[in-house]
Amino acid sequence: MKNVQDSQGYQIIADWMHEKGQKPFDFQLQTWNQYHNGYSGMVVAPTGFGKTFSVFLAVVIDYLNQPEAYKKGMKLLWVSPLRSLAKDLAKAMIIAVEEIGLDWEVEVRNGDTPQKDRRRQERLMPDVLLTTPETLHILFSQKNNSRFFKTLNCIAIDEWHELLGSKRGVLTELAVSRLLSLSPKMLIYGITATIGNLDEAQRVLIPYEHIKTKRIVAKEKKKIEIVSVLPDEIEVLPWAGHMGVKMAAKIIPIIYENNTTLIFTNTRNQSEIWYQQILKIEPDLAGQIAIHHGSIDAELRNWIEDAISDGLLRAVVCTSSLDLGVDFKPVDCVIQIGSPKGIARFMQRAGRSGHSPYETSKIYFVPTHSLELIEAAALKQAVKDKRIEAREPMVLTFDVLIQYMVSLAVGEGFNEKELFAAVQKVHAFHYMTEEDWHWALHFITEGGNTLKSYEEYHKVIIDDDGLYKVKSRRIAMLHRMNIGAIVSDAMLKVKFFSGGYIGMVEEYFISKLKPNDHFILAGRVLEIVTIKDMTVLVKRSKRKSAVTPSWLGGRLPLSSYLSQYLREKLSESLHPKTTEKELKFLHPLISQQEKHSHIPEKDEFLIELIETKDGHHVFMYPFEGRLVHEVMAALIAYRLSLIKPLTFTIAMNDYGFELLSDQSIPIDEHTIKTILSKENLMEHVIGSINASEMASRKFRDIAVISGLVVQSQPGNRKNNKSLQSSSGLIFRVLEDYEPQNLLLRQAYTEVFNQQLEEVRLKEAFERISKSKLILKFAKSFSPLSFPIKVDSLRQSLTSEDLDARIRRIRDEVMKQTQI
Amino acid sequence: MTIITKDISVHLTTLTLTNQRALYWKAEATLVVSDLHIGKTAHFRKAGIAIPSAVLDTDLKRLQALIDRFNVRTVLVVGDLFHAENNTDIDQFQTFIQKNASITFELIKGNHDRLKDSFYEALGISVFKTHKDVNGIRFVHDEQHCEPTVFCVSGHTHPGVTIKGRGKVFIKLPCFEVSEQRLILPAFSEFTGLNTKRTVDASVCYGFTEKSLFEL
Repeated sequence: MKNVQDSQGYQIIADWMHEKGQKPFDFQLQTWNQYHNGYSGMVVAPTGFGKTFSVFLAVVIDYLNQPEAYKKGMKLLWVSPLRSLAKDLAKAMIIAVEEIGLDWEVEVRNGDTPQKDRRRQERLMPDVLLTTPETLHILFSQKNNSRFFKTLNCIAIDEWHELLGSKRGVLTELAVSRLLSLSPKMLIYGITATIGNLDEAQRVLIPYEHIKTKRIVAKEKKKIEIVSVLPDEIEVLPWAGHMGVKMAAKIIPIIYENNTTLIFTNTRNQSEIWYQQILKIEPDLAGQIAIHHGSIDAELRNWIEDAISDGLLRAVVCTSSLDLGVDFKPVDCVIQIGSPKGIARFMQRAGRSGHSPYETSKIYFVPTHSLELIEAAALKQAVKDKRIEAREPMVLTFDVLIQYMVSLAVGEGFNEKELFAAVQKVHAFHYMTEEDWHWALHFITEGGNTLKSYEEYHKVIIDDDGLYKVKSRRIAMLHRMNIGAIVSDAMLKVKFFSGGYIGMVEEYFISKLKPNDHFILAGRVLEIVTIKDMTVLVKRSKRKSAVTPSWLGGRLPLSSYLSQYLREKLSESLHPKTTEKELKFLHPLISQQEKHSHIPEKDEFLIELIETKDGHHVFMYPFEGRLVHEVMAALIAYRLSLIKPLTFTIAMNDYGFELLSDQSIPIDEHTIKTILSKENLMEHVIGSINASEMASRKFRDIAVISGLVVQSQPGNRKNNKSLQSSSGLIFRVLEDYEPQNLLLRQAYTEVFNQQLEEVRLKEAFERISKSKLILKFAKSFSPLSFPIKVDSLRQSLTSEDLDARIRRIRDEVMKQTQI
Repeated sequence: MTIITKDISVHLTTLTLTNQRALYWKAEATLVVSDLHIGKTAHFRKAGIAIPSAVLDTDLKRLQALIDRFNVRTVLVVGDLFHAENNTDIDQFQTFIQKNASITFELIKGNHDRLKDSFYEALGISVFKTHKDVNGIRFVHDEQHCEPTVFCVSGHTHPGVTIKGRGKVFIKLPCFEVSEQRLILPAFSEFTGLNTKRTVDASVCYGFTEKSLFEL
């Protein structure tokens, strides 16, 4: 093995760093060495330690050592999941290139790149191009695009853990495959944060056996300090959301103690509410606090991001919109409101503060109801144990494959045999059969495997040279507009009547409002003036309060790792260690639960049967997250109805679920085993749910990605009006007339993998079948059951009634238990 | 295919609603349908979106069954007969017209019917620009051509109703929307969306499925 440190290129970089008073980290040196020796690989390092410079400088060193091996044009292609990230990285690279004295051009290309810059890039690509997976695929759909990539020496995939596990990851895998066919010698580097399945992550990105790979793992570790914000007094009967107001007052001093605080909430709706709440308690913060989420206009978001960088803001209430991206130097404190639902997400958010190496990241955990304090204890343990979730790569996503095939056909055309051989090597399509491939070919050329071929369907044709091509300009144009794997919900732009965009709301939300109604967006109370052309025109309102939009799909599932820790901590909660102040604080609640019901041990599964005026309740606590509980509840209801015909109302949260019936529920020591049996699991699940309805919802993304639905852009006049149709409609038509369609099958597979979480569900029943079943009868709600009950009330009542009703129930319980 | 009917009395006459997306007016031996959107599937295919053409086969089979069942003399289409340009789907419809030579086909032009009048006439379809009045009932495509005091039959909105089930389950069904002065027809084609917002105040909806027709 050659040592990079003996090389001239290394010397130049080392001198340059030395001048700046810096020294390379071990993992950077390792990366340079691997690259020097012709290895591809993956760099695993926490944020803030110069991940970027590990791979970037590796290429620079190699160039300095052997400039003759580099051709004019693009040398390094840098793919990152976020536009804003690319912008910031480019800045850092340009400075480095200038200081080192290289004559390299470093440029960004994405949807925002001006037309004239694009044309210039197309004449001669910059030496380093930073882009997103989507923009890369758009480049593939251009005429004569292979010349852009033939000079490539290296492709780097930044934040690979963010792409892996989504269809954007599959887009990336396909892009690597294509680039490798154009530049067979290029090196491939993934850059990732720590995740649970690093081996797999590397194999997915570089599945090619002939490429030598190594993994570089930084020894540097980010220190995280987790502080739970405890309420003044404990609610023995907790309920979600209730503590919000009181807890908002608790975070004001934290905001003042630090320079800049990021306040993470789980949903856009929650962020709007907390923003209002904080301002209500502390009006002095006006002008120093901002709100940032995915539905706020991009320009406004950019402005907020700049303001954070410049240290102009004391606090920003945000959602996962700020999980990733630019390092904000002034941020020295992070607050997490409510459960982060996963260990990786929590650590990532914590890492947003104290960005420089060796600085400690500080994160405050603010529970929204007291039970969530168990989660704080669980998170602390998980972070200590370094147990981080895996990101499961997606496979056999035919929608993405079809989009890729058409992109290539729009671009230079493809040879069917060569492409099949290449695509089969891509991780996502390892198990694609030749039959599947032919279906896809049929689909893009004839519209499907129907007996009748459609004369008017000429999406992709086989040209005289045997290549598959798109000849119609209109189809090419429609396709280019649709490239990508991020499907947004039907959104409307919100704009001031006097001009100026504010953000987006879902069509579903606005359809319930009329002109002169009020709602809150981006922290402002707005009044609707009129709605036209997918745009909501509003004016400022003097009102203090209004409805907050709910954005669908806001609820994140609880990760299985975190739920395991939760069960563990709950079982320990009766006898907490002295260091676990959350569990000690919770003691009154825990002992109430133990006194009137039971605290399940690790190997126990608790079932509570409660009878109230409302009827007969069953509560079960698998701690598997809302999504899995939804399926489990439907399944248990189905199994119960096999014993006795009953009607149930179902409710759930991340910890457990409730079945409510007006008649007695046939659960006792004898039936419970059958009801919770792992036998015939999936058959019963299918019997209990409406799989077709769920698949139809999943089909939405698939239809857009595969080009079956033409998306209209919010704010634009609805162009292509005659091509508008809903994915639900197409789903129905295909189910009736073309049930063998692979895209339909994919929708069902996605339902089983993602919605029903088949694997996790099976594991849960496996675990339950080995557990000791504890059946408890009670006359009133227990601390564990109460939050679930409240959640179900919330769905059926308006907020005013809700408070009154919850208070009433709680008082009744208190009277009965006399605490 | 089962044809379920329900008679309603309006303006001193009886109209028959069916669960097959059509209205039959016995006194005039007229079958009234709306929003056939013929050519939509072919139009989509031309743009590279593969929609099976069997959708049109089913629509036309249904229209034939209705014609046969009711002893129809006139088929009145209240707009959006053709979705877009002249394409292969329209050839198929032409064959359908020829097969039903004894029947008069009439069209009140809808917003989608942008082909020249002469094109429709060549197919044997009589064209009305905005409306047609028959025995005190006005037929239009879009409500804007209704008169406040005249009973008016229209299409255009593709009315549908949402029926909520237990839990979060709900289904959407096409429907007839009927009020004192108005009747809005469901879209005839299966390849059309549903609009569950009510356009007429104080209206009653008649939703239907393959096997039933009911008031909501």
